[in-house]
Amino acid sequence: MEDTVLEDIEIAAPSVVRQAARDFAAALAETPQFKALEQAAYAFRQNQAAQLALQAYQQKQQSLRALLMLNALSAEQRADLENLHKAFINQPVVQAYFQAQTELASLCQALGDALSESIGLNYAAACGASCCG
Amino acid sequence: MQTVLSPSMQEAADALIGNLLASEAFVRCQQAHTRLNEDHQARTLLEQLSQAQADLRKKQANSGVIQAEIDNLRTLQEQVQHNNVIMTYAQTQQEAVNFLREINDEISQLLGINFASFANHTTC
Repeated sequence: MEDTVLEDIEIAAPSVVRQAARDFAAALAETPQFKALEQAAYAFRQNQAAQLALQAYQQKQQSLRALLMLNALSAEQRADLENLHKAFINQPVVQAYFQAQTELASLCQALGDALSESIGLNYAAACGASCCG
Repeated sequence: MQTVLSPSMQEAADALIGNLLASEAFVRCQQAHTRLNEDHQARTLLEQLSQAQADLRKKQANSGVIQAEIDNLRTLQEQVQHNNVIMTYAQTQQEAVNFLREINDEISQLLGINFASFANHTTC
C-alpha cells in the first residue's frame, strides 16, 4: 500500500540527493570561513614554535596519563601541565586557528539549524555528532 | 548574532533540503508521521506512555514506586510495540536518520571535517 502511495510522488533518487550534498559541500568549501580555517590550519602546521609547544604539552600529558586517569596529580604536576597547555593555546597561530574554527562553527550551526527546521530532525543529534568529533 | 548566508550557499542549502525531503526515506517518514497524527488511538497510547514514564521517574527519585505502576508501564510499552502505526513511524524515522548520516558522510568526506560536529551547538 505504501508503495502505491509512493508511486504518485516524485521521489529524488539517492544519487541525486548525494549530488546535492556534494554541491552543498562545494559551496561551503568556497565560503570565507572555511578558507580561513584551512589557512589557519596550514599556518599552524608550518609554525615551529606552535608545533614544539604542542609536542611539549602532549609529552607531559602522556607521561602523566596514569595519574591523570586516577585524578592523582600533585599540585606541582598540575601546574606544569597547565603552564604547558597555556603556552600552547597562547601561540598566535593557535589563537588564530581557534578563532577560525569558531567562525566556521557559527556558519555550520546556521546551516544545520536551517536543515533541522526544514526536515523535522535535529541534524547534528541525528548524525550522532559530538563537539569533539 | 544572525549568520548571513551568501546567495550560493543559500541556494545549495535549499537544494539539499528539497532533495532530502523528496528522498524515499523522508517521504516514507513524513507519510508515517501523518498517519500517526491522524490515528487518535496511537497518539493517546504514546501520551499515556510518556506520562507513565514521567510519573515513574518522579516516584523513583522519591523512592516511592509501586509494582502496579511498573506493570502498567510494561503493559503500555507492549501495546506500543504492537501498534503498527507507531512502529512504522519509528522504523521510517530510523531509516531517515540512517540516510541523513550517509548524506553527512558525503558532505564531511569532501570537506575533511565532520560537518555535523561543526553544526552542533553543544560544546565540551
